[in-house]
Amino acid sequence: MKILNDEDIYQRELNRIFAQTWVYVGHESEVPEPGDYRQRTIGEDPFVFVRDENGTLRVLFNSCRHRGANVCRAEKGNTTHFRCPYHGWTYQNTGDLVGVPQKGDGFDHLDADEYGLREAANVDTYNGLVFACIAPDAPQLEEYLGGATWYLDMYFDLIDMEVIGDPQRWVVDADWKTPTENFYGDNYHVPMGHKSAIDVGIGSETATGEEESELYGIADCDGHAFSIYQIDSEKPMFWGHPEDVVETFNHDALDDDQHEVARRSGVTLGTIFPNLSFIFLGGRDDPNKDPVGTFCLRQWQPRGPGKMEAWNWILAPKDAPAEYKERVYEVGMSTFSAAGNFEADDIGIWDGIDDAAGSVFVEQTEATTLFTMGRGENAAATIDDDWAGPGTAYADGGLTDENQLDFYRTWYETITTEGAE
Amino acid sequence: MQDEQVQQATLRLECEEFLYHTAELLDDRRLSEWHDLVTDDIEYRIPIRTTRERSKPTEFSKSAFHMKEDWGTLKVRTNRMASDFAWSEDPPSRTRRQVANVRITDVSDDEIDLKNNLVVVRSRKAETDPDILSMERHDTLRRDEDGYAPDWTERKGLKLARRTVLLDHTVIPTDSLSIIL
Repeated sequence: MKILNDEDIYQRELNRIFAQTWVYVGHESEVPEPGDYRQRTIGEDPFVFVRDENGTLRVLFNSCRHRGANVCRAEKGNTTHFRCPYHGWTYQNTGDLVGVPQKGDGFDHLDADEYGLREAANVDTYNGLVFACIAPDAPQLEEYLGGATWYLDMYFDLIDMEVIGDPQRWVVDADWKTPTENFYGDNYHVPMGHKSAIDVGIGSETATGEEESELYGIADCDGHAFSIYQIDSEKPMFWGHPEDVVETFNHDALDDDQHEVARRSGVTLGTIFPNLSFIFLGGRDDPNKDPVGTFCLRQWQPRGPGKMEAWNWILAPKDAPAEYKERVYEVGMSTFSAAGNFEADDIGIWDGIDDAAGSVFVEQTEATTLFTMGRGENAAATIDDDWAGPGTAYADGGLTDENQLDFYRTWYETITTEGAE
Repeated sequence: MQDEQVQQATLRLECEEFLYHTAELLDDRRLSEWHDLVTDDIEYRIPIRTTRERSKPTEFSKSAFHMKEDWGTLKVRTNRMASDFAWSEDPPSRTRRQVANVRITDVSDDEIDLKNNLVVVRSRKAETDPDILSMERHDTLRRDEDGYAPDWTERKGLKLARRTVLLDHTVIPTDSLSIIL
C-alpha cells in the first residue's frame, strides 16, 4: 500500500517507468496542420508535441539549448519557429537551431547543427495515437502494445476518431496508480461507487443490467488490460452508436472475430501501460435524451507521490454528423470529466487513500491492499477459452482482480528493471 | 441623483440581491431551490481555458467545456448531488461564494446582461488549505413570474437564463467540479 504515496518509489517511477516506456503524448487530430503544436508532459517533463513543416510528428524538449528557458510558452498554437524569450535563440518547428543573435561576435565557434532542441528518442503512432519514449533503447511501439493492438484496432481502425477541442485538466489528491488500477478493470466498484449517477437514470444500459450481457475482463495482454461488455443481441451494438454513424465505420479494417466483438460491444474500458486509459460507452446526460456512443481518453499524469493531474480528451467518429459529435462531447463531459457525474464520485472516494498509504502505520505494519477477488473455489469469474482475442478472458469479469494484478505485475517488472539512470 | 441614475442603481441592487440569494442557495446546498431559479431554456457553460499568446483573440475554447448544460442536465446534476450516494459531496465540501464587481452591460424589456466576479472558497474534511476557484461570470437574468424578487420591489422576479463561467484556471485546482459555479 506504501507504493501509493512514497517519495523514493515516486522518483523511481519517473526514472524507470515514465522515462523508459512508451508514454502517450497526444492524438494526431490535435495537430492536423504543419506547425500545429501542443504542450505535453512525459512524466513531469515538459515537451512540445508538434507537426513540423514536413508533416513529421515530433516531441521536442521544451528547453533552450543555451540557458534552458522554455522556448514554447503557449499551451497550443501554430508556428514555424520557436524563439527563446531569453536571448533570442530561434529553432524551426523541426527542432533545428536556425538563429543565434550576434552569432559571429559571440558564438562563431558554435556548430548550429549540434544545438537543435533535444527530443524524445522515439516517437511513433498507432492508428492516430502518438506515443514517445525518452529512452533510446525502446522496443518498436507495436511490439510494446503487443496484444493490445487487437483491441485498439476496434476503436481506432474501425473508426476514424478525432479529438474534440481541448482536454479537461484537473488536479487530484490521489496517486496516478489509483485510477490506472481502476481503469485496468475494477468493475466491482460500479454499483456502489456510481449509485448516485445510476439512480438519476444516466447509467449505461449494459452496465445497469437492462441489456442481457456478459462482462469480460481481459488480462495477460502484454501488460495492458481491457474490460468489454458483450451484449447478447443480433443487432449492431457498437458501443451505442446509432446505425447511420455505424455506417461510416471502416468495417473492412477488422477481421471477422474482431468485428463480431465490436458489433456486440457495450461499455468498454481499458488501459495501456503506464497511464493511458479510456472508456467507451453508450451513455446519456439526461434520461430524457437519446444515448450516444462517447469515447473518453484519459491520462493520469504523475505530479508527486499521492498526487496527479487528470487529462481527459473526448473523441468522436470523424465522419459522423456535426450535431451528433456535439452530443458525443456533451455526454462524455457529463459522465467522465472534472464535472463528470460518474467521475466525481470516483475521485471523492479515492481522496484519502494517499493519506493512509503515506502513514507510519502502513510503513510499520507493512499493510497491503487485497487483490484476491475471484480466486476462491466457487468464484463466479471463469476463463473463457473460446475468446477470440489475445490475453486471458474472464467471463463475469467484474468479479476478478486479475486485470488489476496485471497492472501491478507490469509496474513491478518495469520499476525493478535497471534503466539508464 | 437623476431619475435615470436611480433606476440604474436600483436595477443593479436588484441583480446583486439575485446573485447573493442564489449564491446562498448553493452554499447552503439547497440545490433544488437553486434549480427553480433557472429558466426552461437556460444555457449554462464553463468553457475550457488554455494558455495562449497575447495576440490570440481568446483563451476560451468554443468546442470544449467543463460544463455545457441545459435545464434537464442541470436537473440531473442537482438531483444527483442531493443523493445519499454522491460520494464527492457526502460528506459535503463546504463552499463560500464571494460575488463582486457586478456590472450591468445591457438591458432590454425583460432581460438584463451583466458581468460579475466570483471567488469560491472550498474546504473539505479537516484540510486547512482550501481550494480557491476564481472566475468572471457573464450572466443574463430574465423577468419571470416565478423568479426571485427582493421584498422591496414590486417588479416581477428574476431567473437565470444564460451563464458563461470564465475561469482564471487552465487546470482546475480542485478534485472535482461537483459544485455549481
